[in-house]
Amino acid sequence: MSNVKCNHCHLEFSDNVMIKEGNLKFCCKGCQGVYHILKSDGLDSFYDKLGNKTIAPPLKLDNTDVSKFDSQNFLDNYVSVSKDGFSQIDLIIEGIHCAACVWLNERILHDTKGIVEADINFTTNKAKIVWNEEKLKLSEIILKIRSIGYNAYAYDSSVADVQASKAKREYFIRMMVAVICSMNIMMISVAKYTGFFTGMANEVKNMIHIGEFLLSTPVLFYSGWIFYKGAYFGLKNRMLTMDFLVASGATLTYIYSLFILFGVKGESYFDSVSMIITFVLVGKYLEVIGKKSAVDTLDKIKSSLPLEATVISQNSRKMVALNSINIGDIVEMKAGEKVPVDGKIVSGFGFFDESSMTGESTPVYKKVNDYVYSGTINSDSLIQYEVTKTFKNSTFSSIVSLLEDSLNSKPKIQTKASEISKGFSATILTLALITFLVWYFYGIDLGFDYEGTTQFERSFIVAVSVVVIACPCALALATPMASLIGISELAKRGLLFKEAKFIESIAVANTVVFDKTGTLTKGELNVVKAEIIDENIHKLSLLYSLLSASTHPVSFSIKKYLESKYDLEIKKLDNVKNIEAKGMSALYENLDGKSFELLGGNIDLLKQNEIYYDFNSDKTVYLFAINKNVIATFELEDEIKDNAKDLINYLQAKNIEIIMLTGDNEHVASKIANQLNIKKYFWTQTPITKAEYIKELKKENKVVIMVGDGVNDSVALSNADVAIAMGNSADVSLAVSDVVLLNSSLTSLQDAFVISNKTYKFIKQNLLLSILYNAVTIPLAMAGLVIPLIAALSMSLSSLMVVLNSLRIKMK
Amino acid sequence: MINDTLFFMLIVGIIISAGLLLLFIWAARSGQFDDSNKMVNGLLFDSVDDLNDAIKKEKNLKDAKEAKSKSEEKVSQKID
Repeated sequence: MSNVKCNHCHLEFSDNVMIKEGNLKFCCKGCQGVYHILKSDGLDSFYDKLGNKTIAPPLKLDNTDVSKFDSQNFLDNYVSVSKDGFSQIDLIIEGIHCAACVWLNERILHDTKGIVEADINFTTNKAKIVWNEEKLKLSEIILKIRSIGYNAYAYDSSVADVQASKAKREYFIRMMVAVICSMNIMMISVAKYTGFFTGMANEVKNMIHIGEFLLSTPVLFYSGWIFYKGAYFGLKNRMLTMDFLVASGATLTYIYSLFILFGVKGESYFDSVSMIITFVLVGKYLEVIGKKSAVDTLDKIKSSLPLEATVISQNSRKMVALNSINIGDIVEMKAGEKVPVDGKIVSGFGFFDESSMTGESTPVYKKVNDYVYSGTINSDSLIQYEVTKTFKNSTFSSIVSLLEDSLNSKPKIQTKASEISKGFSATILTLALITFLVWYFYGIDLGFDYEGTTQFERSFIVAVSVVVIACPCALALATPMASLIGISELAKRGLLFKEAKFIESIAVANTVVFDKTGTLTKGELNVVKAEIIDENIHKLSLLYSLLSASTHPVSFSIKKYLESKYDLEIKKLDNVKNIEAKGMSALYENLDGKSFELLGGNIDLLKQNEIYYDFNSDKTVYLFAINKNVIATFELEDEIKDNAKDLINYLQAKNIEIIMLTGDNEHVASKIANQLNIKKYFWTQTPITKAEYIKELKKENKVVIMVGDGVNDSVALSNADVAIAMGNSADVSLAVSDVVLLNSSLTSLQDAFVISNKTYKFIKQNLLLSILYNAVTIPLAMAGLVIPLIAALSMSLSSLMVVLNSLRIKMK
Repeated sequence: MINDTLFFMLIVGIIISAGLLLLFIWAARSGQFDDSNKMVNGLLFDSVDDLNDAIKKEKNLKDAKEAKSKSEEKVSQKID
């Protein structure tokens, strides 16, 4: 049977499950509802805008909680006053997939009376809403957004966020000014260089100089302001940075060109001034964007916790904001909710999804007196617990604040180029000064055509020509050119580098730290051995039905295994029970009225029911019995990824130290480590101990690469010199990482090491080339022997040399 | 003569590009380039309806501001 499209969400389903209404077909009540709201509000052009794209069906939400949006507590925390005196709130809208979704949300808000302004950012899903509080309540706005199938959370627009947005905008404007001016200068330069070879009247040449002067001035002083600032702060810390080199080189070249403009004979280099500023600035802008997107992701994570929790005091329940929950309060939480603050269970028991803490996908069973941690998810039961830590000190908040701290103090890696530039700029400037002094005091007229200039001017021009000829062009280009080509080679193999400098860091790293689950292993339990004792299809269908009633990952993977082998159907079971940390039981009654007792779980469950089945395995075991007869046994294991062994061997051959950190227990950790021949490994690690360990390593002056995937690895990732995340990682980990392995395969990771090493080799070659070039030309310039033609040619030649050498990276 | 014309053209060219650059800076300052994804997709939504919506949006904003200032005047008159 062919599938048909739902008229609202465009997802395809089998025809017989659809809700039909005339010609219209819907996959669920939610889609139907939203479709009619849009139709009646005249917003059905949404579907034209959506085109062939699909969206998620509307979320099923319990609207009884919206009153909390009108509570005084909430208003105090999140609502501010806009500059026109209206109320303003920042929201994150959940469920936005495409530009049409943004359009729809903005439209429906603008059509609502009382809303003054609504602006939704598509990239970050953040919305700024300004409204008139006298006409409209906040809860009504939230209900409006929910009515069309989206949901909204409030988030605290942090200082970091505002600053990052501002910095991004400022850099963008500065960069665009530089780009636009440089493009114009390039066009004018075409005329200049043509004239250079065909001959050009002096008047025309001066005209071109004036044009270039007008265009390069804003580039140097407006766009280049960032370098002056960087150079200033560098000097304050007694450091000659790359910024200083760029700033001093560009300024002196600019001053030299001014002399030419005002009548001294020679060539002007206004074009070089603006080009170098533009190139280096584009690189800086990319860095700023990276930082901004990390802040956006943190906001999304923060808003995923509930805003309030139910606190029980003297048998009455009330909603309390997380910040005002005190130690000792009793908090009640329903199934499916995230734990808001840390605490100890006083009543109830159930499974908790702690993957954000340990990285393990298997839920953990918790009972009275066990501790629960904020950010983990209560899977299936009603639980009351006593608060042991305030919100600010709870696990989740401390992870977020650690992340914020480490993002702001991301280690600056000393690149080869910046190391050289320190000595380089000092040397060049000293040489220029010596040249000036020698020429000023002992300067004899060497027969050069510097008509009408004073001794001072003549000496100055020669001194500046030393700096101009040593123009940091080649040196500044040495690294970016090679890395750019390295990055594109890496991207072809599914490796995304957020910044070029990490190629260098990978090449010089001497320690690699791996997470286990999801990084070295596949991160999911798979059936590695199955023994079906009774192949009766009806009996297996009963097993299938029992597995379908559970959400436990073990049930899930056995279900998948059975689906691939047999054609099974779901039967109706009665009295389905979850037995804590052991398995499940259920009753089945067939058509003859005969009743069967079903049991599925580990050996303990069978023992408890007086079935003594002899079975030994060091893996996770699942047994299934009908009326106390064992029908099937399964062994499950988290498998090691293909090629993990090759990667480890490769790294060990290169003398790189390998360390494995895992949230799992000692038994599993040692087994995996032995298989992979990893000598150093640590188990039962928390997000915080992982990060501490990375810091320890760095104290020993090691260059550390961290490879991980989960939320639990994010703090450690952000502390490492290079953070590599798997493509299917949690949002935070992707945001804080420097390199993303799109296909999550370890083969690509090995490629990352191979190509980075190769690229680094070429970077070193390039640097050597540019230094050699300087060693030849600088003495000539100091002697005042640089005639304009040589200067102009060598400027481009040195850069060209570096570019051509870098292209060799592509060759095998 | 030719040189004067050349010079004139050069200056006019630079002035025009400076004008466009200022326009761009104004647009960037007012936040129009803050969301690159929305900007790119926004090009697809420029039908007559969308333009009318934009006008309506601005009118709403103006009305709301006027209404607000009027109500504030009334309040201050009452106090007087």
